Amino acid sequence: MNAAEGIDIKCVGVTKTFRDFWMRPRVRAVEGVDLEVRRGQIYGLLGPNGSGKSTTIKMLLGLLAPTSGRIAVLGRRPRDVASKRHLGYLPEESYLYRFLSARETLDYYGRLFRLPRAVRAERTDRLLEMVGLEAVEHRPVGEFSKGMQRRVGLAQALINDPQLLILDEPTSGMDPVAARQIKDLIADLGRRGKTVLLCTHQLSDVEDLCDRVAIMFGGRVRAEGTCDDLLVQEALTTIQTDALPEGVVAEIRDVLARHGIDHCDVDRPRRRMESLFLEIVERARTEGLQTSGARSGGRVADFLRGEGGGVVTVAAASSAAASAASADDDDAVTAPPAEVDAGLIDSLTRRS
Amino acid sequence: MDVMKQHVTKIDVTRAARGWLAGPHRWKIIGSAAAALAVVVVWGLVQAGWLLAATGLAGVTGMAVACSVGLAAIRGLLAGSTGIAGVARTVIDEAVRMRAALVLLVLLVLLIPTLPLVLDHDERLEYRVQFLLAWALGGTGLILSLLTIFLACGSICGDIESSRIHATLAKPLHRWEYLVGKWLGIVLFNLLMVALAGAGTATFVGVLARTRATDQADRDAVDHQVLTARAAVAPAHDRPDEYEAAIAAAIRRLEEDDPDGFASNPAAARGRIRYEYSWTWQTITPDMVSTYVFGGLAGAKDAPTVQLQLKPRVNNVDIDLADVRFALWLNGRPWPMANGVHEEQTLPSLATSVLDLPSEFIDDTGTLKVTFANRNLVPAGETRPTAITLPPGDGLRLLYRTGGFEANLLRCLVVMWCKLALVAAAGVAAAAMLDFPTAVLLSLVIYFGALGSGFLRDALGTYNVVAESFLAAVLERLRAALEFALQFRFYDAGRMLLGFVTDVTLRVLPAFSDYDAVGSLSTGLEVPTRAVFACFATIGLAYPLLLGLVGWLVFDRRDLVRPNT
Repeated sequence: MNAAEGIDIKCVGVTKTFRDFWMRPRVRAVEGVDLEVRRGQIYGLLGPNGSGKSTTIKMLLGLLAPTSGRIAVLGRRPRDVASKRHLGYLPEESYLYRFLSARETLDYYGRLFRLPRAVRAERTDRLLEMVGLEAVEHRPVGEFSKGMQRRVGLAQALINDPQLLILDEPTSGMDPVAARQIKDLIADLGRRGKTVLLCTHQLSDVEDLCDRVAIMFGGRVRAEGTCDDLLVQEALTTIQTDALPEGVVAEIRDVLARHGIDHCDVDRPRRRMESLFLEIVERARTEGLQTSGARSGGRVADFLRGEGGGVVTVAAASSAAASAASADDDDAVTAPPAEVDAGLIDSLTRRS
Repeated sequence: MDVMKQHVTKIDVTRAARGWLAGPHRWKIIGSAAAALAVVVVWGLVQAGWLLAATGLAGVTGMAVACSVGLAAIRGLLAGSTGIAGVARTVIDEAVRMRAALVLLVLLVLLIPTLPLVLDHDERLEYRVQFLLAWALGGTGLILSLLTIFLACGSICGDIESSRIHATLAKPLHRWEYLVGKWLGIVLFNLLMVALAGAGTATFVGVLARTRATDQADRDAVDHQVLTARAAVAPAHDRPDEYEAAIAAAIRRLEEDDPDGFASNPAAARGRIRYEYSWTWQTITPDMVSTYVFGGLAGAKDAPTVQLQLKPRVNNVDIDLADVRFALWLNGRPWPMANGVHEEQTLPSLATSVLDLPSEFIDDTGTLKVTFANRNLVPAGETRPTAITLPPGDGLRLLYRTGGFEANLLRCLVVMWCKLALVAAAGVAAAAMLDFPTAVLLSLVIYFGALGSGFLRDALGTYNVVAESFLAAVLERLRAALEFALQFRFYDAGRMLLGFVTDVTLRVLPAFSDYDAVGSLSTGLEVPTRAVFACFATIGLAYPLLLGLVGWLVFDRRDLVRPNT
């Protein structure tokens, strides 16, 4: 197997030093970071504020040039436009044009991917429905709440059905229902073989979703591995059963004592707040209570689930705008990820 | 039953109306309603006899409607699925919805239709039409230039400072495409604004020109000297070899008489002598008959007359300057003749006058020789009449009609648009490199530098050093600076060095005054198609390309993230 295959993100010895006007080093935000994210992985990037996560992401997107080290994204250099055709990005804040409506915003980002008009319209409909904003699609984004803006931000990150999705604090500012939907979406995308780089402070999200995790501090990667590798406590064992009477618990303690084990904590597990909240909201919804603002999102857009996306979507769109959609435009929708620069990945792999 | 049906219908209509007003077309609906209301009000004003107010309101309404239609057309033009078109279209939306832009836009829409209302109706119509043309188009140019700078800098710096650019450049969009998209959007927006200003100006100038003139001369001036397009021909010497030989001899004499002075700055000495000779040549002394040759008039023979424009002055300040008297010969034949008598001409001094000369006097080679004889009266206490000077430049020239006002206006608008394209490129380039305040400042410096570079260039050339060429002037300044420094006159040396830097900067900057289309249009002079193409190639393309290249070189290497984001 070629080393280039199956690696969507590769960083080797990446360092970023910010300089002031006189070119004096001011802040070393990232130092000697090595990362490898394979295709289909959901990869968590964790760390406290100022640990270098966002700077690393900006370098992956080509918005910042590394001071030293090398980066490959989808087999190409970060500034290479070809790789960006298959990349989706949700910034940590929803930086959107306040004067554009939600629909205009998605249309704008769709244009940047050279999606034909009919495909843009189709995907915009589906995404607005998915994030629950179809009822307010003509309102300027500037009038939206933070959570609603995050929804628009998420929708724009998905408009090209990306192979690699970089999400910076995706659930920030969202209510638990929307946050749950985003987690479901990420899980769906992972099942479809998409690669997701998830940068978040929500540790429970990482535990629930991520295959691998890197924890950063002070610009360096301090720990990296699968969740199991990092989280399993080999020295402890948990047995979970139905509720036990006191007598049975006492017998178990005796058994353990006979085996020389003195330490035994017995507790009643609690439900997670998230599941309680979701249950209450779902109950209210079934009772028909109304709410203003964003509705709860609908099901994941078909084209993101691999249903009716790709060629099928284009074929349907083409019938509506047969003469408008050029061959190039079709490529923009259906093309496989750009051919990787095998030399670049090989060189990075050898270095590492 | 009917009552219920009526009630249901009413509810449906109300609901539908609310739906329309909440939908994407609400501004179209509101705008259409406002336009319809304005039409009704205009009709009422016309019926009431308030024609001027009706004209103003109709103008504002017409421009607003044209603006909406034009915006829709540009959006349609940018409907393509490309990154550049997407960015450009967003700039258009931003231009419309940005508050500062909106204020300037309203100013523009109000300026042109309301200018006729503030003009003094006792003034000659010729001057009023010229005023309207110059101020409407000049004001439009200034407003649109400021709008362009704020839009370009606000849009790009706003994207960077608010981090919106992160989501945009994470898409398959080259950084140069982003900059080109911004520039294209602004340029197309300017195209609409310039077209609107042009249409508004043409309409209101047309309305104003149809109002009552002071007299027939005023009417003729409006029709034949303002609302027209005329080519201007400068006079040439009738014996050029002798003239050049005389200048050369004068330079030799000066070199022999004052070799050190001449050697210190030969270019300045030559320039001074040539300047003095041009004044002498265009001065008609009492004992001399002066002939001036106007060539290249073959195209002017189609029209019945050509215009001789004069701005004479007399040199004796003690006499009444009201009259400048002279006699004319055209290609050797006396003109004008009345009852077999050669009539003298009497014109006011220090005022621009126009004589309509019959084009039949132009010979087959397209040449007209105009001979002047000084016929001023002999002032009291003098023995000879006073000399007449026709100052080089606008003191004497021949004008002939080459086309209509409308086509000239169109060429003028193209020149305006090209200048705005340059201002847009300056704004985009500055914003690609700098933060908003400094980017605006730099753009304003470039704009006002281009606006005044012609004047400043001439002023520096005239008052600091005199040289025949730019290179000679620059070398002279450096030499003078060094000389002052060696004499420990550091203030003067610094002044010279500052002049050197300013001179080079102004030479590098484009000079808008090289293409003074508004000035030409308002004085009825042709904006030559050749000049429009030259303006398009340099101001509209070459300079924007150069500025864009500089901006891109920095932008492409620039980190678009601050350390704290």
